[in-house]
Amino acid sequence: MPHHEFECSKVIPERKEHAVIKGKGEDLTSCLPKGYLNTIPGSISERGCAYCGAKHVIGTPMKDVIHISHGPVGCTYDTWQTKRYISDNDNYQLKYTFATDVKEKHIVFGAEKLLKQNILEAFKAFPKIKRMTIYQTCATALIGDDINAIADEVMAEMPDVDIFVCNSPGFAGPSQSGGHHKINIAWINQKVGTLEPKITSDYVINYVGEYNIQGDQEVMTDYFKRMGIQVLSTFTGNGSYDDLRTMHRAHLNVLECARSAEYICDELRERYGIPRLDIDGFGFKPLADSLRKIGLFFGIEDRAEAIIAEETARWQPELDWYKARLQGKKVCLWPGGSKLWHWAHAIQEEMGVKVVSVYTKFGHQGDMEKGISRCGEGALAIDDPNELEGLEALDMLKPDVIFTGKRPGEMAKKVGVPYLNAHAYHNGPYKGFEGWVRFARDIYNAVYSPIHQLAMVDISKDEIPTDRGFVTRRMLSDKDLPVEITGSTVLSPYTGKFDSVSHLRTKTYPDFPRAGDAEEIIAVVEQGVQA
Amino acid sequence: MSATAKQAKTSERKYQPIYTSNPLAEHDPLTQERVGQLENYIMKHCLWQFNSRGWDRRKQNAGILGKTAQLLCGEPVDNPTPLEKCYWVDAVCLDRAYRELFPWITTLPADEIKSLMHTLHARMDWLTIDGSLNLELTVQNY
Ligand code: SF4
Repeated sequence: MPHHEFECSKVIPERKEHAVIKGKGEDLTSCLPKGYLNTIPGSISERGCAYCGAKHVIGTPMKDVIHISHGPVGCTYDTWQTKRYISDNDNYQLKYTFATDVKEKHIVFGAEKLLKQNILEAFKAFPKIKRMTIYQTCATALIGDDINAIADEVMAEMPDVDIFVCNSPGFAGPSQSGGHHKINIAWINQKVGTLEPKITSDYVINYVGEYNIQGDQEVMTDYFKRMGIQVLSTFTGNGSYDDLRTMHRAHLNVLECARSAEYICDELRERYGIPRLDIDGFGFKPLADSLRKIGLFFGIEDRAEAIIAEETARWQPELDWYKARLQGKKVCLWPGGSKLWHWAHAIQEEMGVKVVSVYTKFGHQGDMEKGISRCGEGALAIDDPNELEGLEALDMLKPDVIFTGKRPGEMAKKVGVPYLNAHAYHNGPYKGFEGWVRFARDIYNAVYSPIHQLAMVDISKDEIPTDRGFVTRRMLSDKDLPVEITGSTVLSPYTGKFDSVSHLRTKTYPDFPRAGDAEEIIAVVEQGVQA
Repeated sequence: MSATAKQAKTSERKYQPIYTSNPLAEHDPLTQERVGQLENYIMKHCLWQFNSRGWDRRKQNAGILGKTAQLLCGEPVDNPTPLEKCYWVDAVCLDRAYRELFPWITTLPADEIKSLMHTLHARMDWLTIDGSLNLELTVQNY
């Protein structure tokens, strides 16, 4: 096994099994780090807790819900507003967060009364919102507060409200991923099948594992609607609580982030016979293949092909403009979970960059299997890295840019490595054909920003050249490019709008006739003939 | 689609080993080269081979690669359930990609395609299940 031992972690020998370098001829039977295990004592992990995974990652993107945490206010505050999962109802779920504000005296005397009082107050403060999720935290789990009992009491007193209880305190798993699992299973056990939907199409899907980061869900839903597909629910970005209770009526589960949501897809497959189709919404080819597959499943592939042709014609020249300028740039692909495999191959193929490292903080070995398969030889794969290991890897690999979260991102900036926010995006959405070009644009802007050269000059001791002016990105990126590229009239940098999402909210879609409609018409005609 | 929930039979999910060593190793260099190309395409572009549990991967590999073999041989494919149809969708994409990227496959007689796909199936089972280092594959629940 080609394990990699970090100098800084020699004092924690167990860490060695959590990093590998993919060598020539290595495959998954010889090259896979350990993963999703309890954090090794002494390694300052950057993982989130299981409550965070359940509440912040999966639960809160639901848009028409009061999300309340039963615990100290810190748990809530630290899981608020760090991910940009927007919604088309004025971002209610981002604007407001609720906590029961448990204090020491409640730990001694119990916090159930406090919880009930908070629930009632929250519903009173927002009388139009009739749905609520309640999240357990470490403190209230340890004192044994029975959240379900309180929720049942409130639902009995207020028949027009519905409450979901998520029992995933911080200690309920090695990382936030434990919380993903818990909330998936809790949702299907408690809520799926408790409401019947109105079916408006012959083709009905749940869009699962999609969190509408800066509008990703709205971009993808636009494609589905253009194909005449009804998106019954989205689990959970821009998703509605009541829509998610009707998941059992879909014909197909289209799964985007398997790490956070495969559990509910798998259970829907087992319990209701709804198949699971894994897709990639990132990258022209993977996205085109994904739309084709959904089209094939429903027998409407022509509708998918029409979208693929239109979108590719519009956006390919702009993607290629960036691809010409990003050739060979070294990337550390260090997002949280699924993006390490969604992006690993597509960015190399379609943007010309080279992935030199992948890591995941909370992912499982299954995520690493996908990520390692999709990146090339020499890539360093790290599970649950700590900050020192991250710095050592940057020093060793000398990447041109890293894609990661805010905490490691700021650390990378300090050592002069540009970073893109892989969790909340810089200027997303990144899904969809246009989104992929926006991603390429952001990578380009990060790699070639003149600020990185300027920032490394120490004005207290370095010599400052006075015979040269300020350089621009284009001066840096185009200096060695052939004139066919720099002078191309076909290729162009991104020409889309600053906001590529809002206009989708008022868009109208074609009315595709349903199979039932044809039967109705035949019946009417036959009745007419008989009369 | 049934709207009544069914319970899973966990006894069907027990890990049953099939291969104890790399089944591709015993084949001639040409087969190894060809299977390597087919395998590489799957590993770079597909996700279906990586469902989280071993018993599930076994079904996925058999379902999709079995239907791909039929499509490559020009045989009709039966999809009696939505789950079968979902396998078929991935098989159609694989069949198209193989024909386009590896045109040599279209020159082979049906029995050779079947045998090659059988070896690919064995290799995928080895890589993703029996030879895999993933410690979570033997879990019986999702
Ligand atoms: S680990 Fe426990 S106390 Fe800390 S944020 Fe998570 S739930 Fe709250």
